[in-house]
Amino acid sequence: MTPGLLALLVLAIAAAGFVIGRKRALSAASGDSRSLHSLPGYYGQSVALFAAVPALVFLAGWLVLQPLLIDMRVGATITPADIPQGSSQSLVMSDVRRIADGLDVLAARGAPDTASLDPATLRSRLAEAGIALGNDVKPAIFDAATDYRARAAKGRLAMTVAVIALSAAGFAYAFSRITPAFRARNVVERFIKALLIGASSVAILTTLGIVLSLVFETTHFFRLYPAREFFLSLTWNPQFRGGSDLGIWPLLWGTLYVSFIALLVAVPVGIFAAIYLAEYAGRKTRATAKPLLEILAGIPTIVYGLFALITVGPMLRDYLAQPLGLGSSSSSVMTAGLVMGIMLIPFVSSLSDDIINAVPQAMRDGSYGLGATQSETVRQVILPAALPGIVGAVLLAASRAIGETMIVVMGAGAAAKMDLNPFEAMTTVTVKIVSQLTGDTEFASPETLVAFALGLTLFVFTLGLNILALYIVRKYREQYE
Amino acid sequence: MNDMTLTERAVQASDIKIEARGVQVHYGASHALRDVDVDILGKTVTAFIGPSGCGKSTFLRCLNRMNDTIDICRVGGKILLDGEDIYDRKVDPVQLRAKVGMVFQKPNPFPKSIFDNVAYGPKIHGLTRSRSELEGIVEDSLRKAALWNEVKDRLDAPGTGLSGGQQQRLCIARAIATSPEVLLMDEPCSALDPIATAQVEELIDELRANFSVVIVTHSMQQAARVSQRTAFFHLGSLVEYGETGQIFTNPSDPRTESYITGRIG
Repeated sequence: MTPGLLALLVLAIAAAGFVIGRKRALSAASGDSRSLHSLPGYYGQSVALFAAVPALVFLAGWLVLQPLLIDMRVGATITPADIPQGSSQSLVMSDVRRIADGLDVLAARGAPDTASLDPATLRSRLAEAGIALGNDVKPAIFDAATDYRARAAKGRLAMTVAVIALSAAGFAYAFSRITPAFRARNVVERFIKALLIGASSVAILTTLGIVLSLVFETTHFFRLYPAREFFLSLTWNPQFRGGSDLGIWPLLWGTLYVSFIALLVAVPVGIFAAIYLAEYAGRKTRATAKPLLEILAGIPTIVYGLFALITVGPMLRDYLAQPLGLGSSSSSVMTAGLVMGIMLIPFVSSLSDDIINAVPQAMRDGSYGLGATQSETVRQVILPAALPGIVGAVLLAASRAIGETMIVVMGAGAAAKMDLNPFEAMTTVTVKIVSQLTGDTEFASPETLVAFALGLTLFVFTLGLNILALYIVRKYREQYE
Repeated sequence: MNDMTLTERAVQASDIKIEARGVQVHYGASHALRDVDVDILGKTVTAFIGPSGCGKSTFLRCLNRMNDTIDICRVGGKILLDGEDIYDRKVDPVQLRAKVGMVFQKPNPFPKSIFDNVAYGPKIHGLTRSRSELEGIVEDSLRKAALWNEVKDRLDAPGTGLSGGQQQRLCIARAIATSPEVLLMDEPCSALDPIATAQVEELIDELRANFSVVIVTHSMQQAARVSQRTAFFHLGSLVEYGETGQIFTNPSDPRTESYITGRIG
C-alpha cells in the first residue's frame, strides 16, 4: 500500500473512531450527556486522536528512516571493485536506486519476472520504458538493485501492517477508556497543546537546520580556502580555473554602501510620513493614506528592480552622473540605493506610525496644556518617547536592506570594487551569492562554496541587527505597560 | 456634614478672572453642556462638582481650549478671560494655554528628567535668558509644589520614576513654572493615596495666593476643604453656583441637596 493511501486509511479509522467513541460515551451515560465529565464530542475526539496521531507520526518516521536503512544495507554489499574510476559510492547507489525504480516500471508493464532479466540487455529495456542510464548495468549492480527492490517491498509491507496495527491499537486503547468519569476534555486539551508546540517548533527547527547547513558548507569552504584571506583580503576576483581571490570586503562594502543610501532615503521620509499620519492627518486622510503607503510594501522587489533598471538608472546617468562627470553607468550604487530606499519607506513609516500612536494621549495633553505647539510637542515629547521604538523600526529596515537581492541585481551592477563614488557600479554580497551558485562550476570548488560563507556572514549580520532591534523594541514596550 | 472642616470662607470679592456666558458644547450629535454661566474670581479656588458625565470636565477643558484637540467637539457661547474672548479668531490657543495652565487627572510626567519636565514650559515660551535663571524657576516651582526637598538631589532622574503623589506634584510644578494666571485641575487627586492627596490639597490652598485655581473633583469633602466657591453640574447644565459654605450647608436647589447628601450621583 502506498503511504498516501495508508494515511487516508488511518484518517478513515480516526473518523470512524470519532463517531463510535461519541456513541459509546453517550450510551455509557445512558443517553444523558449531563452525567458525562465532558461533552460527548470530546470522547469522540479522544478516540480519533489516539487512532490517528501516533500512527501518522510513526508513518512519517518510517518513511524517513526506511530509505536510509536500506541504503546502508545495500551499500555494504557493493565492493570497491564495483565502483568505476572517478565515481563514488553515492553515485553508484543512485544508479542502484534508479535501476530499482526502473524494474518497478517494467514489472508494472507486465514483464514476466524481473529477477530473470539479463543485466546485459537491461539498459535498452529500461530506455524503452523511459529510464535512461549512463552506462551498461554490471551484474553486481543489478544484484544490488534487485536486493534493494526486495528489501523496499518487504519494508513497505511491514510499514503497512505496523501503521494499521498502531492505529487500531490506539483506537482500542482510547475506546476502552471511555467511562462517564473519563476526562476526555483534558486529554484533548493536552493533545492540542502538543500540536501547537509541534507547529511552533517547526519554525525553530527550520532556522536551526538552515544555520547548520550553512555552517557545514562554510567549514567545507574554509577547508579549501583560508579564512584569513576571506575575511581580510580586499580583492574579489573568482577564477573558474582556480587560484581566485575571494575577499569579502568589496562585497560587504557594496552591501553597506547601498544599504546606507537606502536608509538615507527611507528613514527621514518614513519618519516624517509617520509623524504626519499619526499627529496631523485627519481620520479620513489617514484612512486612505496609510493603506496607500503600505501598498508600496506589497510590490514585489523584482518590480522595483525593473523600475531601477529601466527608469531610475538611465535617468540618474543622463541627468546627474554624466553632466557631473561622475560616471557613465546606468547601474550604480545610487540607483539601487534610491529604489531600495523607496521600498523601505513603508517599513519605517508603518512601524513608526504604530509606535507614535502608542505614546499615550496624556503626554500630548500635558504638552498642549503647557502651551506647546504641535511641532514642539512632536519634537520634544513624542519623538523622545517613541525614539527607542523608531530605532527598532530603522534597524529592521536596515536588515531588510542588507538582505535585499533583486533590486541590487538589477540596479547596482556586478562589479566588485571598493569605491566612494556612488555613481559607480558596485555589487553586494547577495548578488554574488546568486552568481556564484548559478555558475557552471563544480559544486565542490571554493568558487561555489564561497556562497555559503557569504550567506553565513550575511545571516550573522542581519541576525545581530534583528536581535538588537527586538531588544530595543521590547525595552520600549515596558515603558508604558 | 459635620465631619467636614470648612475652611475660611472669607472671599475678598475680588475681580472676575473668567466670565463664561451661555457656553454650549456638542460632541458630534450629543449636547454635552448647555447654557453654562460662571464667573471665576481671581485668587480663589473654585470647585466643580457633580456626578460622572455631567460636563464639569468638559467645561474645564473649554477654559483653555483643550477641547480644540478633539475633532468632533464644537464650543458655542462666550468665555472671557480678563474681558477678552478666548474663542476669538485673534487669540492663539497656544498662548492662551500658557496663561491658563492645566493639571490632569492622571499624573503625566514626560519621559524626561525631573529638571527637564519642569523646565519644559519656560523653555518653549522663552521665559528665561540664562541657565541660572532657568534653574531658579525650576527650583522655585518645585518648592511651591512642595517637592523640592524630595528631589533636589536627583534632578537628573527620570520624572516617570517618582511615586504617584510625587509625579502629580511634579506635574503641578510643571504647570506653575510657566507662571499661568489660572490653573485648571481635572480631578488631580483621583489617582493618589490620602497622604499625597493631603499634600496636594495643602498645595492648592497655597497656590491661591498667586493664581486663580479651578478644580474638578468627585470628592465633596475635598471641594469643601479646598474651595471658596463651588459649582454643581448635573446632566450637562449648571445647577447651582455660589460660596462653598452656602452650597454645602444651605443649597437652594433640591438637586444639589440630593447630591451632597448622597441621594443622587
